[in-house]
Amino acid sequence: MELQEKITILSGAARYDASCASSGCSSDTPRRGTGNTSQGGICHSWADDGRCISLLKILLSNDCRYDCAYCVNRSSNPVPRASFTAREVVDLTMDFYRRNYIEGLFLSSAVNVSPDHTMEAMVRVAEILRNEERFGGYIHLKIIPGSSPELVRRAGLAADRISVNIELPSSESLRRLAPQKSKEAILAPMKLIGAEAGVSLVERRKSRKAPRFAPAGQSTQMIIGASPETDLQILRLSQGLYQRMNLKRVYYSAFVPVNDDNRLPVLAAPPLLREHRLYQADWLLRFYGFSAEEILSDDAPNLDESFDPKTAWALRNPGFFPVEVNRADYATLLRVPGIGVTSARRIIAARRFAPISPEGMKKIGVVMKRAKYFITCSGRPFERTDQQPARLRQSLLLGDGTEAKVPRQLVLPGLG
Amino acid sequence: MPRITLHNLLIPIVPNVPTVPFSKIHRRTPMNKFLYDGTPEGLVSAIASILDGGGDPAQAHLAVRQDTLFEEGLFLRTDPAAAEALFQRLRQGAPDAVYTLWYFMMAEVDDLETSLLRYIALAFEHGDRVNGYLTHADVKAIVATARKAGRELHRMKGLLRFEQLRDGTWLARMEPDHNIIQPLAQHFSKRLRGQTWFIYDVRRRSAAHWNGRDLSFGTLEQFTRPELSEEEKAVRQMWQSFFKTIAIPERKNPRLQKSNMPAKYWKYLTEKQGE
Ligand code: SF4
Repeated sequence: MELQEKITILSGAARYDASCASSGCSSDTPRRGTGNTSQGGICHSWADDGRCISLLKILLSNDCRYDCAYCVNRSSNPVPRASFTAREVVDLTMDFYRRNYIEGLFLSSAVNVSPDHTMEAMVRVAEILRNEERFGGYIHLKIIPGSSPELVRRAGLAADRISVNIELPSSESLRRLAPQKSKEAILAPMKLIGAEAGVSLVERRKSRKAPRFAPAGQSTQMIIGASPETDLQILRLSQGLYQRMNLKRVYYSAFVPVNDDNRLPVLAAPPLLREHRLYQADWLLRFYGFSAEEILSDDAPNLDESFDPKTAWALRNPGFFPVEVNRADYATLLRVPGIGVTSARRIIAARRFAPISPEGMKKIGVVMKRAKYFITCSGRPFERTDQQPARLRQSLLLGDGTEAKVPRQLVLPGLG
Repeated sequence: MPRITLHNLLIPIVPNVPTVPFSKIHRRTPMNKFLYDGTPEGLVSAIASILDGGGDPAQAHLAVRQDTLFEEGLFLRTDPAAAEALFQRLRQGAPDAVYTLWYFMMAEVDDLETSLLRYIALAFEHGDRVNGYLTHADVKAIVATARKAGRELHRMKGLLRFEQLRDGTWLARMEPDHNIIQPLAQHFSKRLRGQTWFIYDVRRRSAAHWNGRDLSFGTLEQFTRPELSEEEKAVRQMWQSFFKTIAIPERKNPRLQKSNMPAKYWKYLTEKQGE
């Protein structure tokens, strides 16, 4: 098979993977080698779906033994199959990197022959890149559930980031839709990675020469909308992963129906808005000091369609507002809808010089369309803040308080 | 971040500034309008003269000399030593402001001299906290301009494309809005240090060259792109296939693509050839 054709098959099979980040970790590059990793993530291109391309995201093989209901590559699907040799992936990575097409490689694979067989082949790609090509760019390896601890260790030593897909938000769903994968086979490598990374950090504090273990940390991904879990269940799961497993990132991927299967829901369109809201809520967990229980409750376990999760929280907690921008501390500012990390920092930096006026807020770049309902500047409100909750909802919805349009409907090919 | 010198600020912009001995300006000049020769070094030196001469930055105006008959204002000659002294003092008192100044210079704007003067005066007064004083119109103007340059630099680190030539060296062409070739070349001297390459700014005819050990800068008056290597064509095709298939067909979104990657950058993007 031509290399070109393999690329088409094996990048096409990898495209539903949500994670694109190649971010935030510096590396000691071998002196004569090629490449480094950069702080703060560089995007090299944007694909036709508008997503950032920073890595050669590809499968080593799509020839799968397993039969997960939601997956294009499942063994019962009649799709063309292909597998790369290690050399082919190494050369592609180097050829693309030298031209500045990419930050590095993101290698995943279907389960070919056995988990260990596949994992070993993937680890070999990373090891050739590091040891023979002296490649200093970014490498992200997916861990195949069920692969041996030894291979997980080797993967962590060669890669910047490793990840195990949690796939679905509950073990019942996993049993139903991905019967060959077990919760244990997923959680065991996650725990191992967390432990090894911790050991490496301690060792490196003693000696800079100690080996680095997945210095960019561990992430995971789950499919949203293929199974019946609520958003609260999903956020609780993520919260646990951040707090107990020390994960860097959880990715959510709106379920795109690619197979006919009576175990799967029939959706008019992939739940893109829900995916978007989950990312917003996830952001609140990681950077804004919210807990899953503040964002959702057992009575209202799903995220609001009309409002972003922070605005929804603000509407439920009118007692917290208005917030006085010239006095509130950082954590309080962050709770104001429309004020993000950057705006909060800017407010604090600017008010050291003089109290900030309403015009000043605009000058320093705070977007006021939602914030204006929730703040005062030296006691002066922007909008009548004594509005009844129902009225406030209306203003936010009808006025210019709404956010940029999020795609709800997909334009299907041929129908658009 | 690399260590910046005044030299960094000046190199890419105007190479040969004639140096004229510094003449001290009158302490109590009745006018508060000042002119300089339009070079970056002249700008820094003029700011030094005004601040050292005890001028009130909040009242002063600084602009490029146009040499018209009716032009009013005191012309400040370029004094490299004064420029250097101001720069050193700024680096001591407000290192972040030096980065802002560096990025500001990349923007090559020529109507913000007065704002720059006031910004630097405030930087001496407040140190690095000055960059947070965004409610001040002059600070805002300088910081926003510098930020735009910084954003394009960051973007170009991803969008620059290297092509392999017949003789095995590599070439990357670009037409950025800001004069970012110097920090961009520094970035690639770390990333692609095993290759020999050129970066060429087509709009400014300036070039950076990395020979595997050292970085040098210059200008190229005549430029024709040499032949590409055989391998280059094959790799380009593979990249184009990858680019096409990695997008999720059910989620096509050309508007989002364009807002992230404006069409002005497509000219040299391998994956956007023939669109
Ligand atoms: S193991 Fe992976 S590739 Fe194979 S069917 Fe399941 S999800 Fe798809």
